[in-house]
Amino acid sequence: MSTPRAVQPAQPILRVEGLVKRFGDNSVLTGIDLTVAAGQAVCIIGPSGSGKSTLLRCINLLELPDEGRVLFQGQDVLGLPPGLLHARVGMVFQQFNLFNNLSALNNCVAGQVKVLRRSRADSVRRAMLYLDRVGMLPYRDARPAQLSGGQKQRVAIARALCMEPQVLLFDEPTSALDPEMVDEVLSVIRTLKDSGLTLLIVTHEMAFARDAADRVVFMDAGRVVEDDVPSRLFTAPRNPRTRAFLARMMRG
Amino acid sequence: MPTSFFGWITFLIQKYWPLFLSGAANTLLIAVVGTAAGFAIGLLVAIVRTLNLRRGASLVKRAALALTRGLLTAYIEIFRGTPMIVQAMVAYYGASQYLGLNIPAMSAAFLVVSVNTGAYMAEIVRGGILSIDRGQTEAAIAVGMSHWQMMTGVILPQAIRNILPSVANEFVVNIKDSSVLNVISVTEVFFMSKSAAGTYYKYFEVFFITAVIYFILTFTFTRLLRLLESKLSGSASYTVYGSQTDHRAEIELRREP
Repeated sequence: MSTPRAVQPAQPILRVEGLVKRFGDNSVLTGIDLTVAAGQAVCIIGPSGSGKSTLLRCINLLELPDEGRVLFQGQDVLGLPPGLLHARVGMVFQQFNLFNNLSALNNCVAGQVKVLRRSRADSVRRAMLYLDRVGMLPYRDARPAQLSGGQKQRVAIARALCMEPQVLLFDEPTSALDPEMVDEVLSVIRTLKDSGLTLLIVTHEMAFARDAADRVVFMDAGRVVEDDVPSRLFTAPRNPRTRAFLARMMRG
Repeated sequence: MPTSFFGWITFLIQKYWPLFLSGAANTLLIAVVGTAAGFAIGLLVAIVRTLNLRRGASLVKRAALALTRGLLTAYIEIFRGTPMIVQAMVAYYGASQYLGLNIPAMSAAFLVVSVNTGAYMAEIVRGGILSIDRGQTEAAIAVGMSHWQMMTGVILPQAIRNILPSVANEFVVNIKDSSVLNVISVTEVFFMSKSAAGTYYKYFEVFFITAVIYFILTFTFTRLLRLLESKLSGSASYTVYGSQTDHRAEIELRREP
């Protein structure tokens, strides 16, 4: 089965306009503009506290923007029915956030049955398919407590894929993982890119961003500072802040 | 007439065992019904109180939710803040004097204990919900679940397991505190004991028996609930899949007792 593809690959699937988000007196996002074409894989990098995660969370409305708007296929996400928005725009979290009372399989089935109203049999079939795609099919009956971090994250990716979204948001998907588990998750994400899904990935994995992304966005202090193809952004960054950040990351 | 303490005990048990037995049965029935109904009330109240309206909800909806929340908070505070013995008096005599309702004492007992327990349960369940990490809530929202779907499918099954000791505690409290319902003539074990004691003025002996009955009830049920708890928390050992590449590589872990 193929992941749903946008009809016109070049048409923007996601557009963020003048997004501002404040927590109390603290402005986390100070006017973000970003357009993502369908099928693109965009990595968002930047120092901690630069607002990367908040940007993702505003896109699927886990946080409410204070100003500006987010358009999904030209429609303001605030006007979309919540079930529809979340079925089309999936999310994978840093801490996996699997449902601890459910097996790996049922983590993938729950949303399909409850939100998409698919039959149990159909949901199980798709869950098996996507669990297989992330290499977790043999572990389908395991509870989250029985799985390692990397395995949990792969199940979480399968859970998101089961909803057959058009955009998938990754919020630092490997930051909570032991180093030897990072690759198994990144290689799964790479296969998604090849399937044509639109990906927005907040990450600290510079090598991954350089190899896998179509575009890299560097954020600092709540703004997009630089937005370019990885070959240019990593080798010839124009902004001094990007240069300083990359120098720090490469040293580490 | 018996002359010794144990002589009286034997005599009273032989003479009044049907009273003690039916009193104990009623006490237990009130505790079971009151705790179960109170638990159901607590779940519903907690579900409503944790509801967050979606953005763009209409003013009417917002006002309705704010009003409901206010009423629920008032309910919890009032029923936790007044003694059950007073609640029983107010409900029983209020219903007969002002509503013209002559509720049977047992029905009044069920009502008072359920509603009273519900107020405590609402707070216990809320605590249980707070014990579940926020991430699972976000994940449920991110796949598009509604508040109800998230609560019933993900959060409450875990929360209930965590609060089971407190729920068991409420049950034991109800076995004992239903004794106050004797003021509205509910024929639970305390009321029956009073009747039995009056005939021979043997208050010490009768209430010694009553104490033993209460203890047997509470002790038996705490043990049973403990058993249920350990059942719900799963088997004492579980398997961790040790290898990233081979699911056959299993490590068995034992849970701390």
